[in-house]
Amino acid sequence: MSTLLKLENLNVSFRTPRGQLKAVRDVTIELKAGESLGVVGESGSGKTVLSRATMGLLPSTATRTGTIWYQGQDISSLPKEKVRELWGVGMAMIFQDPMTALNPVRRIGSQVTESLTVRLGMDKKAARERAIELLKRVRIPDPEAMLRKFPYQLSGGMRQRIMIAIAVSCNPELLFADEPTTALDVTVQAQVLELLDELREEFNTAMILVTHDLGVVAGHTDKIAVMYAGDLVEYAPTTELFANMKMPYTEALLKSIPRLETPTGTRLPVIEGRLPDPTKDEPGCPFANRCPYVQDKCRAEKPPLKSDGNDHFYRCWFPIGGNK
Amino acid sequence: MSEQTTLTAAESPEATPVKTKEKKVRKRPIGFYIAGSWLGLVVLAAIFGPLLPLPQWDESFYDYLGARPGTSGHILGTTQDGYDMLAGLVNGAKISASVSFVAVLLGGGIGSFIGVTSAYFRGKFDMVVTSIFNVMLSIPNLVLSLALLSVLAYSDADNPATTSRRVMVLMLSLTLVIIPILGRIARASTLQWAGREFVLASKSMGTRNFTIIRKHILPNVAPAILAIGFLAIGSVIIVEGSLSILGIGVPGGASWGSMLANGRGNIAFSPHEVYMPSLCIAFTVISSNWFGDYVRRKLDLREAKI
Repeated sequence: MSTLLKLENLNVSFRTPRGQLKAVRDVTIELKAGESLGVVGESGSGKTVLSRATMGLLPSTATRTGTIWYQGQDISSLPKEKVRELWGVGMAMIFQDPMTALNPVRRIGSQVTESLTVRLGMDKKAARERAIELLKRVRIPDPEAMLRKFPYQLSGGMRQRIMIAIAVSCNPELLFADEPTTALDVTVQAQVLELLDELREEFNTAMILVTHDLGVVAGHTDKIAVMYAGDLVEYAPTTELFANMKMPYTEALLKSIPRLETPTGTRLPVIEGRLPDPTKDEPGCPFANRCPYVQDKCRAEKPPLKSDGNDHFYRCWFPIGGNK
Repeated sequence: MSEQTTLTAAESPEATPVKTKEKKVRKRPIGFYIAGSWLGLVVLAAIFGPLLPLPQWDESFYDYLGARPGTSGHILGTTQDGYDMLAGLVNGAKISASVSFVAVLLGGGIGSFIGVTSAYFRGKFDMVVTSIFNVMLSIPNLVLSLALLSVLAYSDADNPATTSRRVMVLMLSLTLVIIPILGRIARASTLQWAGREFVLASKSMGTRNFTIIRKHILPNVAPAILAIGFLAIGSVIIVEGSLSILGIGVPGGASWGSMLANGRGNIAFSPHEVYMPSLCIAFTVISSNWFGDYVRRKLDLREAKI
């Protein structure tokens, strides 16, 4: 398989009144065609910014450095107009909240057919037929009637299916799913994730699944990138990561998922403390203040991203299971 | 009006059957019909007035000077100078309605375009537009119109400015008054919508900016502009009347304000000369304000539903 996307030393920072806020620091990631990568981290860890920066959908206060290779082409230096030609057709995005990502005053039909007519130049009739086909594909009952409805008449799960239908409408090669299930019920979450898997298999689409939930990425990704405070802290194939967890932070994330077996009244496990101030560059490991295994060296020096030689990268002085 | 179609379309087609029945039963408020028929009457009078079997509005009937309303041949009476009131009011509707509609449509169109684009693209363009709007708003609109009229449509005894030139300048100056008012409304409303995720979502599919504005921003911003547009019609009619009373509006009793200005000296002898155009102005302003409020109420309702 050929490399579809490669991020090299990607940095994103925002201009704020308190100074430059570093949201993504020096991230290097590679994704092959058809592959699925999970990006995991807590709120504010830079995972959403990473996906938007890759597409080029950043606000004007942001500055981005580093290189983005897409199908062997450096798209980070392309002019905006050229990058836009990739949007929808090459790369598409599914947004977190289906309640706000659909225009409330336009019918579902016109929103699904929009990119078909605008991007693919289909005429109205062909676009309508394709839209019905797409809605069937995302398992929406009675698609003809659905085209005439307005978003407020739909449930959250239905809206997210519509969003997915819109995102895959131009057969993108790379799909960004930015917390696609966070706003949905648990029962619907599984259905939506399965649907994404199916579509991916059918169209051989690569996917970057951004989430805070390790449980979500576990069954639906080939590789996982764990982010903390803008840093890539652990990066490994999914099975390898779960079998051989190196980062105390990843372990803490996993532990903070509530479990059914625990007796009633047990306090929910949390990661104590907060993310460090992203506008300051402090020495040492950014996780040091919250880490249960912290040692003196962690506070003094920031660990580099190391490989264990097994495609497993981690950023820790004293990984779980020891250094190799 | 487009708000109206959007709403009924949103509610009726394939919502649950129970809901559809409920909507059909619900009536519009009575004010909708009263205000609607008055505005309809004014528009009809403005368009078809010349076809009506009425006396000439600018012809003086010397046998009927200051006739009371109800006189045969002059249903609404005549002025002290013998002009037929009804014919004058119908002709006044033409001038008043066309001046206010043209000014609001033109000013609203230009203002909305500038407001929406500046709020959508932000940056320096937005800063420049906002400051220009603020400067324009800081000039009292009566003073602005006064200045424009006295410069562009100045008439002295030797070469008087024609009525049509005055009307054109009046439209222009009122348009200039409307641009920043509706422009600011459009800008504020766009700011609120342009940050929504569906705009970003459409953008991420590669839609061009002007397509996004047309398909995603305008349908959401239109109700707010429409609501303020109706209110603006009312205030434009008032400004037109005020300018006539100051003596620089449309001359010779051709508009409602001008009739009022001509008749105010005769209020003791023929009060109908004053109160009839006043009532016309009042009804039109109240009706258009009512419509503006109605649209805004509908807008709030829709917001709550989302």
